[in-house]
Order: sequence, then C-alpha cells, then structure tokens
Amino acid sequence: MAVSYVPATFEEAVRIRRETGAVPVAGGTDLMVRYRSPAGTLPDFPWPVMFISGLKEMKGLFLEGVELVIKAGTELAVIEHSEIVHPVLREAVRQMAAPALRNLGTLSGNICNASPAGDAVCVLYALGAEVELTSSSRMRRMPIEHFITGPGRTVLKGDELMTAVRIPLHSESASFYRKVGTRKANALSKLSCTGFITVTENRIADMRLALGAVGPVVVRSAELESQCIGMDLNHFRNYKPDLRKQFAERVKPIDDQRSTAEYRKETTLNLIDEFFMLIEKELS
Amino acid sequence: MHQPINNDFLQKAIGTPVRRLDALDKASGRAIYIADMKFDGLLYARMIRSSRARARLLQVAVPDLPEGYYFISSKDIPEGGENRLYMITKDWRVFAEDTVRYIGETIGLLVGPDRNVLRDLEREIDISYEDLEPAFTIDEGLAVKGGPIHGEDNIFAEYHLKKGDPDSIFSGSYRIIEDEILTGFQEHAYMEPQGMVGEYKNGKYVITASCQCPYYMRKAVAGILAVDQEDIVVSQAITGGAFGGKEHFPDVIAGPLVVAVHVIRKPVQIVFDRHEDISFTAKRHPSRTRFRTAIDENNRIVGMDIDIAINGGGYQSCSHIVLQRAMFSVNSVYDLPNIRIRGRAVATNTFPSDAFRGFGAPQGIFACEMHMSHLARALGMDDAEFKQQYFVQTGGTTVTNGTIHEEVKLPEMLEKVLKASGYTEKNRLYDREGAAKAVGISFYNHGGGFTGDGEKEIIKARVRVSRDQNHKVTIYVSNVEMGQGFQTTACKVAAKVLGIPLQDVFFQNPDTSVVPNSGPTVASRSMMIVGKLVERAARQLKNTWNDQGAVEAEEDYVQPPGIEWNSTTFQGDAYPAFGWGICAVEVAVDPATAEVETKGIWTVHDIGVPIDDLIVHGQVHGGVIQALGYGSLEKLEVKNGAFLQNTFADYIIPTTMDFPAVESDLVENPYEYGPFGAKGMGELVFDGAAAAYAAAVQKAVDRNICSIPVNPELIMKLRQA
Repeated sequence: MAVSYVPATFEEAVRIRRETGAVPVAGGTDLMVRYRSPAGTLPDFPWPVMFISGLKEMKGLFLEGVELVIKAGTELAVIEHSEIVHPVLREAVRQMAAPALRNLGTLSGNICNASPAGDAVCVLYALGAEVELTSSSRMRRMPIEHFITGPGRTVLKGDELMTAVRIPLHSESASFYRKVGTRKANALSKLSCTGFITVTENRIADMRLALGAVGPVVVRSAELESQCIGMDLNHFRNYKPDLRKQFAERVKPIDDQRSTAEYRKETTLNLIDEFFMLIEKELS
Repeated sequence: MHQPINNDFLQKAIGTPVRRLDALDKASGRAIYIADMKFDGLLYARMIRSSRARARLLQVAVPDLPEGYYFISSKDIPEGGENRLYMITKDWRVFAEDTVRYIGETIGLLVGPDRNVLRDLEREIDISYEDLEPAFTIDEGLAVKGGPIHGEDNIFAEYHLKKGDPDSIFSGSYRIIEDEILTGFQEHAYMEPQGMVGEYKNGKYVITASCQCPYYMRKAVAGILAVDQEDIVVSQAITGGAFGGKEHFPDVIAGPLVVAVHVIRKPVQIVFDRHEDISFTAKRHPSRTRFRTAIDENNRIVGMDIDIAINGGGYQSCSHIVLQRAMFSVNSVYDLPNIRIRGRAVATNTFPSDAFRGFGAPQGIFACEMHMSHLARALGMDDAEFKQQYFVQTGGTTVTNGTIHEEVKLPEMLEKVLKASGYTEKNRLYDREGAAKAVGISFYNHGGGFTGDGEKEIIKARVRVSRDQNHKVTIYVSNVEMGQGFQTTACKVAAKVLGIPLQDVFFQNPDTSVVPNSGPTVASRSMMIVGKLVERAARQLKNTWNDQGAVEAEEDYVQPPGIEWNSTTFQGDAYPAFGWGICAVEVAVDPATAEVETKGIWTVHDIGVPIDDLIVHGQVHGGVIQALGYGSLEKLEVKNGAFLQNTFADYIIPTTMDFPAVESDLVENPYEYGPFGAKGMGELVFDGAAAAYAAAVQKAVDRNICSIPVNPELIMKLRQA
C-alpha cells in the first residue's frame, strides 16, 4: 500500500518531495483513474503520494510583466472563467472533460501527464508556454517542448515540483483551434490543431501551428514557421503546397482504441488546409 | 408518501401522465441499490477469470489463505450438482474446468471479509495455461479455426426459412444485386453495474440481485447445488437499468455465488466495477448479413436470398433465439415475394453474446433497411419512395408465412414523418446544393411477447392481484421495474380498472417466494402480456370488491384466438401483434473532419395505446438515442480476444450534447388483447434509428454504407474510396 502525505505548507511539500519522492496529486483526475482499484479498496499507487490540493500558495493566476502566470494548483475551471487567459486556451480548457472534472483538475497536472493528446497542452505549445520547476535548492524554467520528452515522460526531477505555467502574452491577427474528440462533450481527443497568425503590412509577422495526437509529443516546427515570416499573399500561396508536404512528413499518428492513424493524418491535413485558408484571408 | 399523485388518468385517457411511483426515491438518492445494502457478516467475492481466450487450464495455484478467506471453484460443487448453468441452453459452465473458452471465463471466486486483502491475494493466484489457437470472428468460427469450440462445426444453431418459390427465381435470369451488411458488439451501459448478494436462510439459498428475471435465475442455479427450484429464492433489488444485460448474464454471477454460499454459509456479495462490467459481461451479438436480391425488368424485387450469421461467442446461452428473431425481422416491414433465409449462430472465443434490447431484431432490421436503401440507390429511386411500395398490409404475409392480423398504419405514419421532418423538400434542396447534408429514413416493426407459442407453451404467465381489508391493492408479478416504468404503468392499469387512486395500488420488487411466475421482464412483453393479465385480474377483483376481508384474483395467460404457430418448422404467426415505427434523421457531415452533426430526429410509432404518455416518451427518447449511439459512436473492437474499448473514456455512448431532442409522435391503434389496447414498445423504439442515421450519412456522402458504427473514420475511408 502506498504511503500518502498531506503537506500543510508549500515548504513542507518541497521537503516531502525531496525526502520521499512522493508524487504530487492535485485534482487526481488522471492519477486516481489510472491507478484505480476495485470498489472498497485503496487506490493502487506504486509510489508514495502527496495531496497538494489544499495548498493555497499553489493556487491562483495573475499577469506578471509580459507573462500570464498560472500556479500549478489552479483548477481548470478557474482558467476557463478567467478573462486574463488567452481565449484559445480558455476554449481548449472549456472543451476538456466535464464541469466536475474541471473543478478538480489542473493545467499543470495535464502537462505532467504528458499525453500527446492533451488538448490544453497543444495550445500551450502554440503559445510558447514555459513551465516553472521548484526544488528545495533551486528554481528553473524551460519551454514546454523541452519539458515533455515522450508519452507520459518529462524531465521533472525526483526532488522537483512544477510550481507554475508561464505563458507569454500573445496577440495574433487570427486564431484557429479545433479539437476532434470522440463525441461532442466529455470526450478525449482523437486529434487537435492550434494555429495563430499575425499579419503586419500584409506580410506574415508570426505564424504558429501545433498539432496534437499525431506523434509521441505535440508537433510544432520552429523551422517551418520561421520560413513563413515576411511572406505576402502570393509568396505564401506559392509556398503552401511545399509547406503542407513538410508538415505532412511530421504528422505520424498511430492506431489506437480511439481512432486510426489514417483518419488522424487525413483530418490533421484537412485542418492544416483550413488554417492556411485563414492565413490567406488575413494576408489579403 | 410524498406529494400527492395526479390521478387525472382515472377520468381522462389512461395515457394521461402521472409522476412515476419510483421517481422521487431514485432522483433524490433515497433508493438503495445492491452495493449499498447492509448484511450482517457480509463477505465479498472477487471473480478470478481466465486471461486467455482459448487454452488448456493446467493449474490454478492458490496461495495459503488467511483464516476466513476461501477460494471457491468447480471442486466445491456438491455431489450430484452440475457444473452447468441452466439458462435457455444448459451449456455455460459455472466454473471453467480443463479448458477456457474466452477471456473473462470464471475460474473461481476469492471470498473474504476485507476487499484490500482479496485484491492482494488475487495477485498471488498463479494460473498456468497451454494456449490453443482461438477463433474470434464469424469467419474464423465458421472456418473452425483451431478446431471446433462447439460440436464439430462451431454452429450453435442453423435454421432455414422459405416463403414463396425462391428456387425458381434464383435459377432464372433476373438482375441480381448483392450486399453484405455488418453490425458490431454493443455494451449495455446500464447505469448500475451487475451485482448481487447470496445468503443461506432457513434452509434456502436467497439471492438478492439487480436483475430482470428472478425466476430465470432460480432455474439457472438450482441444478448446480442439486436442490429444488423452490430451495432457491430470488429477490429483486432496485435495478438501475438492464437493457437485456440483466436477463441471463446475472445467472453467470449467481452460479458461482450459490456455490460459495453453500460452502461458507455466510452472506456473500459480488458487485462488478464498471471496468469489470464492460470487460467481462455479455454484449449484443455482432452480425453479418448477405443479400442476393433478384430485380425484374420493371425494377421490382422478385426474390431475396438472405444469409445471416451472428457471433455467439464461447457459449450458446440464448444465441439461437436471438438468431430466430433476427431471421423473423430481416424483412422489416415489407411483404416481399420469394424469400430464402439461412441463419447461423456461430461459436467463437469472444465473450459470449447475449440478450440486448431488440434481441436480434436490430441486426436484422438494420441489414434489411440498408440493403433496401442500396437497392433504391442502384435503381435511382428515393429510399422512402422505393420502400413504401413493399409495405406489408393487413392480411399480408410474413417471412414465416404468418398473417398480419392488425391494421397496418404505415402510410398514415409515413405522411406524418415526411411532414414533420421536411424529408422530401430538404433532400431535394441539399442534393441541388451539393451540400453534405441529408435526411435519412427507416421503417421497422417489433413483435411483442415471446416468439410463436412461447407464451402459451413455455412461459405460462400467472399474475395475482389482491385487496386487503383497508382496500389497498397489491399486484403480484415476477416482472421487474428496471427503469422502464413498469411499476407505474402496471399500477395504472389496476387503478383504472378498479377506479381507485394510484396511491392505493402497490407493486413491490418481486421475490420468487411471494409472487407467481408471470415470466421474465423481456421481449416487450411486460405491458402487452402481463399488463393484460393484471387488467383481467383487476376486473375479476372488482366483482368481489365488496366482499368481507381480503380478496384476491389470479389470471393465467390465454393465447389470443387465430394465432397459429409450428415451433419445429417456424411456420405461422411468429408474433400475435407488432409495434410499428418510422424514424427520420437529418445530418450534416463536416468536410474537414467527417464529424456528423445530427440536426433533427423525428419518429412516429404505433404502439397500440400508450399507458403513460410521458413514460412512453422516455422510452422513445432513450431507445432512439441508444440506437443512434449504436449506429454512430459505439465502436467495440476485440483485440486478441479482449474488448479494446473497456472504459467509458474509450467506449463512447452519447451525451445530451450529441443529439437533439427526439420529436416523437404516436398513432393510436388499439390492440384487442393488450391492456387498454397497448402493444409492446420497449424494444421497437431501438430497432430503427441506426438505419435512419446510416441512410442519412449515406445520402450526404453519396456512398453506400454497409456497417455500423458510422463514425468519422468510416466516413473518411468511404469518401476516399
């Protein structure tokens, strides 16, 4: 049976983490399900756990300079309803699971879960979010794409806690977000697609595209995006087929119990086409 | 009692809605289900199951058990008892011995007081197998892959039907259109998982269970302990949904349970978790139906050659009866000439398939409706226009050469559906626009009650109605309230006959030591058959109403006159009366993602006379949405013998967001031998919506659809083809 801790303060949580390696449980909406066990028995965690949902120091979201800071214990419902959060992130959160789950689950938990199908995670890639990791001896931050290394795998160290997600403020000319779920509500993603386009003087100033559930991690390519900077409508139109092909090469989904590789690839490319149409519209 | 009940139905039509008698308890959480019931000294059981689809069972190594813990297996069946469940067929074993036939087959029960200890002990049980080559699909079963699972050829049952002279047609030179239609597994997804408690009390084995058929369970398990059926008492607990999943399957739990109670003599509980329930309970039979249809020079159907195969899984259980209903339903509402039907129920190493709302009819009707729509497309006609030419009429002939005795109101119903849905104008417009939008339509019927003479020869229902000194009336039947509303509607029937308020009529959850056997809660029979007996018993009671003291009345089933049936040749009237339905569904298909938006759902049903308008509406809405889930979302695949979608995160049933409200209408068509004119309707409302949905998508994407679920993955594939 797993040992469990309920730290009273953030400092205590950091100490427990260092001394025992206990895995933090915030809402428990992923972990309690993944390690469920039969009715009438205790959850079946393979490691010590600590319940951090009572830590007020870990909750809240606020603007700090050019960043939005979302502390790790902040529930998804709070993010969903906050007007200082980017509307596309709010929309992605709104489409996650059901209200009861959003009242418990956290964005940081979603990130640490490191699923390539995480809906909010796809948007965070596109927004260039960074995560803040804290241990008793140091604090570090890194881009989300460096933090997540594969399905269920992150670079979180045994003595670290994720303490915040830091999202640079972003104002685009137009955005594109589409989640294709298993049904219309309370659904996991088959795939998702987030795009941002910023146009100044009829040229692309900034273009971002993140694709969820089409590979081991969310797909975003700085290389392909930067090639688009400065393009005008004609240039983009000419370049579009090549760009689509290069994205297509990066889309490598799998078959699983929720969808097929074939469907995921075809639909992702269709959504990329829709995003490209939006870009053209913004350029003209 | 709570708030007063509206008794308007006593003065007005019986269908005038009342508040359901169980509504407040269930909605408020006061209702106590089996998992929450308290028993002194209760022990818990965990089912130890096969992890292999097909194997020799070499050894089951059980660790030393602490005091008070037991491992129960076939070795514990007493002298003279059989390791067989007496379901419809006596083939399903209580405990696997020597071999296993499917993943999830019961090997033993681990029983004890602490569920944490049971979980840890379960991990220490070491089962060794020698794997054998399994067969999972209908084709693999028919090919006897890995050697026979059942008999010599894996055929649980094979039947043949003939109407007219198909031989002469198919030896002729007509144009032949071929088709193959597939349907998959479906999970019942009742809200309350399977569960029951067994006790030994006063020399009897008492089972308190979430179930549909208390008397079935009594019969299923008595032989295991070599006791009389009367020594088994089954008492129904409040049941949170069933849909056929609690018709026979609870017997598979009750069998091992009574052996455990026999050995331990203490109350023992088995309640499945949701994950266990999805992974290890029976599902709807997958089906494959092949058609060869002969068309003459006037584009008329002149003959149909049909071959139906259903996947029965590891044991037969009721597969042959499901097959019969699939065959009797495979001409839907059409009176077609020159029909040949072959049906086979095939043994495989998947989890045994069993009863599910519709019981073979949804598979048969889906196949027929899609094939008919494919014929219409091939002949350049609209579905509705093509199909209505063949509507059966009063006096018409069924595929079993029986007669349709009742008035068939399909033309009137069609007019209503066309008008409500805007079917013709919308399809014309969408077609012209080239929009990926369409309205699909389906037609269906469902015979109420047991097939043929089953009610008369097998079930022989009896009901009792009593009135005590205080002029309170109690209905004694073995049919259960399982969410469908029968408690309320049965009481309304008695109250209406007697002219007394609903508050004075009582219906308790049946207990086989108290109620007579009025048969199982299945086959859309509860109101039409048992409700009629309640009506007759109440009339009898009315005659003695003013007698001193308590009075009671009993009634036995009597077959309506004019019904002819031969249960050997399957010739004659398979059903005394039918419910009828038409469903239209409007869809729009997303060009990028192939996701389908359902824009509208319209139904018209003939169910005789509704006993409660609101309960009927609930059944229509629930049945139609459940069928739309079956038709669009509910993919259930088998991978290496195990169900792949085994959580509600992956097995996708519709939410209220997925479909709009059903616009439901009825036509009245009183049935003389049903209470107040009522006919069966619980399954009818499931039978047609999947085909209407598939037909709509088919029209929207202009490709033949031959299988369900019609999910975006399938649509994408069809669009690319």
